[in-house]
Amino acid sequence: MNWSIAKKNFSRQGLRASLNVLVTALSIIALIFMLSLLNGFQAQATKNVVNTDVGGGHYRAPGFDILSPTEWEDHTVKTPEILMQLDNKDKAEVLVLQGQLYPNRRLYPVQIRGISMEQSLLKLPLNNLKTFPKNIDDLIPVVVGAKMAKKSHLQKGDTLTLKWRDKSGAVDAKDVLIVDVGDMLNPRVDEGVLWLRLDHLRFMTDRKREVSWVAVQNYIGPVPEFEFHPVELLMADLLALWRQDRINSKILWAILMTLVCISVFNTQMLNIFKRQKEIGTLMALGMDSNRIVKIFTLEGCLAAVWALVVALLLGLPFFIWFQGVGFDVSHLSESTLPIRETIYPNYQLMEIIYSLVIVFILIVASSWLPVKKITRLDPTMALRGRAIK
Amino acid sequence: MNNNLISVKGVSKVFKVGEENFTALRDINLEIASGSFMSFVGPSGSGKTTILNLIGGLDVPTAGNIFFKNTKLSAMNRNQMAQYRRKNIGFIFQTYNLLPVYSVYENILFPLLLNGSKEKDVRERVMNIINKVGLSDQVKKRPSQLSGGQCQRVAIARALVKDPLLILADEPTANLDSKNSLQILELMSELNQQYKAAVVFSTHDEKVTRYVRREVGLEDGKIISDK
Repeated sequence: MNWSIAKKNFSRQGLRASLNVLVTALSIIALIFMLSLLNGFQAQATKNVVNTDVGGGHYRAPGFDILSPTEWEDHTVKTPEILMQLDNKDKAEVLVLQGQLYPNRRLYPVQIRGISMEQSLLKLPLNNLKTFPKNIDDLIPVVVGAKMAKKSHLQKGDTLTLKWRDKSGAVDAKDVLIVDVGDMLNPRVDEGVLWLRLDHLRFMTDRKREVSWVAVQNYIGPVPEFEFHPVELLMADLLALWRQDRINSKILWAILMTLVCISVFNTQMLNIFKRQKEIGTLMALGMDSNRIVKIFTLEGCLAAVWALVVALLLGLPFFIWFQGVGFDVSHLSESTLPIRETIYPNYQLMEIIYSLVIVFILIVASSWLPVKKITRLDPTMALRGRAIK
Repeated sequence: MNNNLISVKGVSKVFKVGEENFTALRDINLEIASGSFMSFVGPSGSGKTTILNLIGGLDVPTAGNIFFKNTKLSAMNRNQMAQYRRKNIGFIFQTYNLLPVYSVYENILFPLLLNGSKEKDVRERVMNIINKVGLSDQVKKRPSQLSGGQCQRVAIARALVKDPLLILADEPTANLDSKNSLQILELMSELNQQYKAAVVFSTHDEKVTRYVRREVGLEDGKIISDK
């Protein structure tokens, strides 16, 4: 009987119940959306770094440190046979050396990165380099990132002088032709990086078969004369940022949950507040307190379930649509974060389930608590509508 | 021991209003016999509603005792008090206090369901009492679709349907016009004789006093007349 009373009470409240459900559902949608957008931002940035630079880790020449450019030339090693045997989709040989570019008669120190044209592990916009012959004639074909191009006022088709040192330390210089300006997605491989074919760079610097590192899809065990740098090490700065961001996102989650809680609690309290006389009448009719509490709590459960259903019905099409169009963050394109111009939400099931369970418990609790309080008082107080103020 | 339905012995009730104590009832003693048709009369603040609430088990006295057929109400716990109201008391309120989402039929059925009856077993009984209060063409309407007089008829039917021994009616005609008030009073008088339930009003409406067989006058929480 309790269930049928609760069902009847809930279903016949009309607009009040509908608004209650709608407000809660919209709060749930907003909560999931914000969290998923934040997750999407992090996941996309991480993926971009992995796809453009890190892969599944690097086998690096011992002592190579990307933060010590003056020592790059001293830390190149021939690619060992075991890594050579890896499939091109599982490895990317990279040679990194110092250089100076002279755009518009200014000196611009650059990181010259040679990468094998056969690799398909790292997703970089270097297709235009492939069309050039292995032998360098007059101009060395290079690709620069969009950010670097913008900063240095470079564009496709520009020629400018590049200076470098070969293996024996002799300084050499030649004009380079910018064959493409690519969207690198990752500032680490964009700003100050000049992309060349690996065979060209090896030829220019007389470093046959040498690399600074080999990015691999998976760790294949120890390789003599190489140090393996796992993803966690290579992305330490970004992961540290994410860890900090996780704390921030937890704070954001707490703020969002608090807003949802206030909204839900307010709606439920208002609902119960307006029904004090009804509770008093039920007491006067002889319904015992526990039963009244059960009925109103069941009503709260129904409101919670309907809120979840409505959130699903309204939220699902919205989330699917949004997954297609994404969120424009082009205003962040000048930042140093490895993100596209559009980010897409990343829906994490457990996080959503936790949030929904909390909202559900809250709705039920905010139905249970005030009614419990009312039924503990004299029925006359409830009949006068003065049990809770 | 006696055969009174209700015995009120030395009952006082003090309310705390802010920092002040307000004495609503002072040492009240009276008996209500089965089948009575009586009223408490007096001006606002004289204690009429308070005495009804105490008899109905909605509130507890500060001092003294109330007995229902020799059972002391103050000895009952909350659940026993709810059961006492469920089984024995029918309430009629000034503002009707009907359940807003229920129809006329469902409002009247509700006390029977609370007492554990099955709808199919009591449907006829509910329809009979709806006919008696003259609402047979309003069965499916909700309280918001009824007039004040019709709402009070529903409240009367709801109070009577479970065959209570005592009906407590707190200012039942206060929100009604003269015509509706008289109709309600005639109906209650008729039903009192038919159902044998004691009916106790609280009122300051002179029309009510013309119908009752006993009138207890209250002033400042004290009984000043009993005729």
